[in-house]
Amino acid sequence: MIKKLLLRFLVLSVGLVLMNGIYKFFFYQKDLRAFSPEIIEVWKKQRKNDILYFAESSNMNVRDTDLIKKSISELTDDLLPQFRIGAVNKPATHAGIYKEWIKNMRRPYPSAIVVTLNVRSFGADWRYSELESALQSGVVLLKPYPALANRFLLALNDFDNKPAALREQEMLKEWEEVRFDFPFKVPYPTVRLWDNAMANGSFIKADGSRDMDKITLACHYVKSYAFQIRPDNPRVRDFDEIVAFCQKNNIRLVFNLLAENTAYAHQYVGKELVQIMRYNRNFLVKRYSQKKGITVVDNLELLGGLDYSDQNWTTEHYGYEGRLKIAQNLAIALQ
Amino acid sequence: MLFNSLDYLFFLPIVVILYYLLPHKYRWVLLFVSSCLFYMAFIPKYILVLFAIIGIDYSAAIWMEKLQGKARKRLLLISLFANVGILAFFKYFGFANQTLIDLFALFGKEFKYYDLGIMLPIGLSFHTFQSMSYTIEVYRGQQKAEKHLGYFANYVLFFPQMVAGPIERYATLGEELRKKQTLNYQNLSAGFRLALLGFVVKMAIADQLAPFVNQVYANPAAHNQLQVVAALAFFAFQIYADFFGYSLIAQGSARLLGIHIMDNFKTPYFAKSVGEFWRRWHISLSTWFRDYLYIPLGGNRVSTWRWALNTLIVFGISGLWHGANWTFIIWGLLHGIFLLLEKPLKRYANTLSTFLLVCFAWVFFRAPDFPSALQILKGVCTNASIKYTWLDYWTPLMAVVLLFLLEFSYRKERFDQLLERLPFITRWGIYFVLIFLLLALSGTQKFTFIYFQF
Repeated sequence: MIKKLLLRFLVLSVGLVLMNGIYKFFFYQKDLRAFSPEIIEVWKKQRKNDILYFAESSNMNVRDTDLIKKSISELTDDLLPQFRIGAVNKPATHAGIYKEWIKNMRRPYPSAIVVTLNVRSFGADWRYSELESALQSGVVLLKPYPALANRFLLALNDFDNKPAALREQEMLKEWEEVRFDFPFKVPYPTVRLWDNAMANGSFIKADGSRDMDKITLACHYVKSYAFQIRPDNPRVRDFDEIVAFCQKNNIRLVFNLLAENTAYAHQYVGKELVQIMRYNRNFLVKRYSQKKGITVVDNLELLGGLDYSDQNWTTEHYGYEGRLKIAQNLAIALQ
Repeated sequence: MLFNSLDYLFFLPIVVILYYLLPHKYRWVLLFVSSCLFYMAFIPKYILVLFAIIGIDYSAAIWMEKLQGKARKRLLLISLFANVGILAFFKYFGFANQTLIDLFALFGKEFKYYDLGIMLPIGLSFHTFQSMSYTIEVYRGQQKAEKHLGYFANYVLFFPQMVAGPIERYATLGEELRKKQTLNYQNLSAGFRLALLGFVVKMAIADQLAPFVNQVYANPAAHNQLQVVAALAFFAFQIYADFFGYSLIAQGSARLLGIHIMDNFKTPYFAKSVGEFWRRWHISLSTWFRDYLYIPLGGNRVSTWRWALNTLIVFGISGLWHGANWTFIIWGLLHGIFLLLEKPLKRYANTLSTFLLVCFAWVFFRAPDFPSALQILKGVCTNASIKYTWLDYWTPLMAVVLLFLLEFSYRKERFDQLLERLPFITRWGIYFVLIFLLLALSGTQKFTFIYFQF
């Protein structure tokens, strides 16, 4: 029986190799177009450009009133005529997704890549976002296994595919349990307590009623920025992998640390929140610039509150002037 | 644990290897532990519900054997009430509440909703029915009470069929679990074939149909007549492929351990009457109702009116067994009515008419509520449009064609048995086609098995 089983196992193995070839030849591209169109974009842009710019919605979003609608990467491209810069964007993306795109670039690699470092994306609010399942499903086909195995993993939904309710539960747990450990004083030890305090805050309208819009925004600032980036943060690990890949393959890596609305964070919550944002920025700059020798373009406090197109939320979406300032900063670093 | 998960694809081979490595006398422990682990992957604490069922029925059967007459009957009733009580508490409490609210509202009164915040333990309807069949058989003297708690626990818990059947009798599964199984090529080969086929039917057929059906049922008004009609037909194939696929994986998994479990389906959509459909669809449930409800009610050896009533009772309860919602009761009653009408209209019954009636009834099974079901049926008759392309239907149609091919070969002989007789090259050629379908062309959204909710 053992001989019989071994023979069948051998036949099956040969068959699987053949099937993988058939799948790759006839079906893989179609599946990539359907589930991971960004990687096709990466391959396309790689051929035509010297520098690839990876970003989330910060690069695509413009203000309605902007006369010039160019993205940060396009503005940078204009500022650096000696380079061709191509961008690959996807809303809500983060280092865990960029990592897969970058590792799946084709040779020859571009001379440099720019990856947006979005402070908010390290926090629980973003890490446990309900968009995560969709983002993760988009990179299953890029995993380092045979194409056919990846396709089967996609069918089994074998990726971080938790239900939104479970993610929310985990996020609330983190907000409740993880205590701040900053070398400076913060008014509350956890996000939850701070958020509660903000929810009971005293933003008052002219008519004497509570200004719920402002209260909601203040709470959102706390939930978006009141966290402490530590070395074991999953996004830090993802960025570390990007760094290691680029260093191994001699690709120049630039981290474009995006601007955050520190002015409004101060106005709605207080100076302690800005201190936290700076602390996290310093952690990232120190880790990647000083320790790993990567170029980090620090835009954190580059812009004023009115440079942001979403005045009522904490997004990294900028008006033309804001985008231009970031592009100028980036162009200097890339030169 | 879901069959269609990577966890199960690791879990099953590990259990199979350990099973054959262990001496026979310890295998029940392995099966017990692995079944508990399998079940606890869903909601761990609900294993206690299963332990309660096992404890009640195990004890009841042993005592029952020692008693006679009324005391014996009383013990049976206690056991049945306990099983039905557990089922009612978890499955029908919310439904009863909602029905009372609606009833009170009819008279302009208010009834307070009592939310216990409980979820239905997965597969509860299946294991309560399986366990009840055992106590009934012991009561009837057709089955000896099992003295070994481990074997009885495995009968209720056996992981391949614990969450969605087939609902086995102790005389078959209990004995199979007791048998000393030896590792042999035939079992491994048959198990592999059945499981492979089951995965293909579930993942490459049912899961390819599901997105289309879900989209139409979620908003029938936004779809044209053809789309609604297609969704109706596709759901018939989806639910069949879903449940049939599950049953095949269950059979295959059990067979890898040398254990045979029954066929739950026999090409149901080839049935020429609704009565025949029920002899081919979810056979283990139909026979359960026949043996433990329909025949005790008098079956067909009663007056015509009583027979009609018996039929409606059985199908109404069968509907309620499926789900705690009026739509399921309507679905069950519709089948009962079809069956009653079939007798005088026998000459009109054929495969097509049966399929159409079954599809019509599925609308009530699939729709979340009665108004939605009516909206779907309205969609069948209105909103005619030719604004569609064949491309929209390409994937689901291919899935249906594949199911039809499998079914066609199943008409005379089970497909896996047919495969067994084919020459090596042809057989392996078919395996490769099936494996390729599974690996490369399965649906990309994962859907839990529809019958898991019951």
